[in-house]
Amino acid sequence: MVKLRARCLLVGDAAVGKSALSHMFHSEGTLFQKNYSMTTGVELLLKCVNIPETNDSVELYIIDSAGKETLVEGCEKMWGEPSLLCLVFDLTSEQSFANCGRWMERVRAHCRGLHLPGVLVGNKSDLSARREVESSVAQEWAQSQGLEYHETSARAMENCDAPLLSLARAFQSLYQERRETIQNLSPG
Amino acid sequence: MKYTRSPGDPRNMTDSSLSSLGAKVVVASSGDENHPPENITDGTETFWMSTGMFPQEFIVRFAEATTMSAVTVDSYNVKHLRIEKTASQNASQFELVTEKEFGHTEGHLQSNVVSLNGSSATHLRFIITTGYDHFVSVHRVTVQN
Ligand SMILES: Nc1nc2c(ncn2[C@@H]2O[C@H](COP(=O)(O)OP(=O)(O)OP(=O)(O)O)[C@@H](O)[C@H]2O)c(=O)[nH]1
Ligand SMILES: [Mg+2]
Repeated sequence: MVKLRARCLLVGDAAVGKSALSHMFHSEGTLFQKNYSMTTGVELLLKCVNIPETNDSVELYIIDSAGKETLVEGCEKMWGEPSLLCLVFDLTSEQSFANCGRWMERVRAHCRGLHLPGVLVGNKSDLSARREVESSVAQEWAQSQGLEYHETSARAMENCDAPLLSLARAFQSLYQERRETIQNLSPG
Repeated sequence: MKYTRSPGDPRNMTDSSLSSLGAKVVVASSGDENHPPENITDGTETFWMSTGMFPQEFIVRFAEATTMSAVTVDSYNVKHLRIEKTASQNASQFELVTEKEFGHTEGHLQSNVVSLNGSSATHLRFIITTGYDHFVSVHRVTVQN
């Protein structure tokens, strides 16, 4: 049994649905807010994910960070050193997808060159008539960045657990890899 | 993995494994039950591994107040270590003894001697404030009297 702990940054443009998703994670899908209430700083959310078919779990310290451009700099001071990344865009906004590259750069500047496992999430999949970003395009970009891709709808409560599980699994395998390395070390 | 030092290694002369001093790890953050904190003090080849985020810490309790000139810490990926001590019986009121930045090693353990200037303590608290990776390990702590 291993209890892991990870600091997970939740970032992406304003109004893509980061806070809606984080409320889904927390309330297991009972608390969708239709009215937009902008996050102005960072909100911390604790979520424990049990990894199926193992006795391992990951405690995620999710940092829901404001997406609005003028607030980002202030928030960055509270990011600390992240262990995982959850980058969200809105499937009905090409612009929010185009900005993901800039979010990656910002986040990488906080990682001291360490590998940061993560996921790319295309949210609002319920608004299919207004979709502006093709799955295949998002998938391809995610892969080029070493992220796993998921589509979710916080509103329809669809697939919201998938990114969390994927994050937890990624952190678990990073841990196992590092443990293996340490087991094979030679003495100082 | 072997930790045998050559018989002529000067560190052999005064080293005491913590368990031989009746010392125990009483508190530790992180939890992999296959790599528990007791591994730090048992004087064998096993290790304690952190399981995510910083800071990470463990507290060693001695059977009685013990005077130490230095400790040797064998570890991996530890970047910054802070050592605090207390002479109280109940692991409270810690005060800073020293801080040290460890060099990065790859493929082999870090082994650092940290001077304690003859401090006397019932508990030592080891706080790893940052690492060179997401996870760090501590393999052994030995005390030089
Ligand atoms: N249709 C639909 N609307 C959503 C979905 N997720 C969030 N919304 C709506 O999108 C708006 C913005 O959601 P938030 O979660 O506040 O967005 P945010 O990313 O946290 O925004 P900032 O805090 O400004 O960075 C709200 O009105 C939500 O109700 C979804 O899956 N489908
Ligand atoms: Mg928000």
